[in-house]
Amino acid sequence: MHELSLALEVCRMARDRLPGDNPVRVVSVGVEVGRSAGIEVANFRFCLESLLQEPPFTGARTDLVELDGGDLRLAYIEVDDGR
Amino acid sequence: MAVRTIDVRERVMARNDELAARVRERLLQAGVTALNLVSSPGSGKTSLLERTLAALDRELGIAVITGDVRTQNDADRLERHTTRLVHAVVTGGACHLDAMQITAALDAIDLEATRLLFIENVGNLVCPASWDLGEVAKVVVFSVTEGEDKPLKYPKMFQMSRYAVLNKIDLLPHLDFDVDAAIANARAVNPDLEFFLTSARTGEGLDRWLDFVREAAAPVGR
Repeated sequence: MHELSLALEVCRMARDRLPGDNPVRVVSVGVEVGRSAGIEVANFRFCLESLLQEPPFTGARTDLVELDGGDLRLAYIEVDDGR
Repeated sequence: MAVRTIDVRERVMARNDELAARVRERLLQAGVTALNLVSSPGSGKTSLLERTLAALDRELGIAVITGDVRTQNDADRLERHTTRLVHAVVTGGACHLDAMQITAALDAIDLEATRLLFIENVGNLVCPASWDLGEVAKVVVFSVTEGEDKPLKYPKMFQMSRYAVLNKIDLLPHLDFDVDAAIANARAVNPDLEFFLTSARTGEGLDRWLDFVREAAAPVGR
């Protein structure tokens, strides 16, 4: 449940960063997970992968990187704007 | 196809932490001390608060925000011991309180008439450790029926807490619980933890806890 709420927050943040003027296909969402962030990585990955099946991410890849420290960060979003 | 990268590098908790900072400032300006009680379910948070309200509410002016996944049973219990508002947050499934819920709850509390705010978090030793609610300190409550190794199993909660209450000590004669081992385990993950040994049922150990609460509620920023 904790991992799901964090994955939902990642999706909210990512959605806010998508360009509003031009529809894009989201290729991947990159997230950094601190090893002492209190997050069960496999469960978090499952939650995020499930949420990224829904629009506007439809099928976007989940890129997780584990790092030292206690932070969870949305690192980047890869988009294809068709140009 | 032209794939480009939008660099973000933003902490996922940033929005919550920003709101928590605003809560902290608001409480400081109002001269209200907030303590965030965190624990596993059934450790005795509500019983400890019932005792605390019964002893100190008139003297200190205590408000309480309770968080539960379903029901407002805890708030109903606490309301019997105070005429002050006890605000119940029913999270509807979420396993912790967040700073947005506290921001909304504060609007329903008369801060001018309050010196101390207890936040009784959702019973859960994992998630509430990660969420800053704008409190002065987290107080982790655990009980002698839970096993001495709780601090080792859930280290982040004990690391993030400044105070620990070991509750239900009236049951010690009936259990094999090793108090010294429990305290040693807790201090192994957080050497600075200050401990209170209490029985909310019999009142044993409550004098020291109540003295601490009085001191915590001492006027600071008003």
